[in-house]
Amino acid sequence: MATSTYLSNPLVTVNAVDLTDQCSSANLTRVIEALESTSFGLTARVYVGGLENSTLTLTMYNSFAASETYATLKALVGTTTTVTIKPTSAATSATNPISSLVGCYLETLPIVNAALGALDTIDIVLTGGVYSVAIA
Amino acid sequence: MTYTIASSKLGVIGEPFIPADGINVAALLEGGFIVEQSTPKPKKPAKTSTDTNEEI
Repeated sequence: MATSTYLSNPLVTVNAVDLTDQCSSANLTRVIEALESTSFGLTARVYVGGLENSTLTLTMYNSFAASETYATLKALVGTTTTVTIKPTSAATSATNPISSLVGCYLETLPIVNAALGALDTIDIVLTGGVYSVAIA
Repeated sequence: MTYTIASSKLGVIGEPFIPADGINVAALLEGGFIVEQSTPKPKKPAKTSTDTNEEI
């Protein structure tokens, strides 16, 4: 039986601001860089874990209204912040864990992504930071 | 320095905002999500004239 979580009503915050209603896609990937430690005498490559370098990619509707997407992100470019995401807006629990990236870096911010007859959407990528997950 | 929430996107408007670890407070201020409230300075004690000249 499929037990995967589908995100119908997740909670997404960027710099503590709730941007759930402006977000249509979130992709959090935990990455720990692989450092090759293969040596003479081995017949296969081996690796050890290096620095953590996780990423969170968010697809957002670009709104210039007060307290919305642009107001939240405009001062974060080139700085670090904290983002959180959890599967539903219900209380945090073992079945609704909240994942955080503390100190992740926003390198680029698309300002306008306009097309005739389409909503303006942007993809932002937050990189690095310390990943943690809490169940309470 | 204390901060007060100014946007419902952040919490209850008017409540104090205590930034968690990693939160970029400058960005929240620039975006108008919080406002800064300076802590009231303690009142200065009343001036009293004291003669500090000691005669030798």
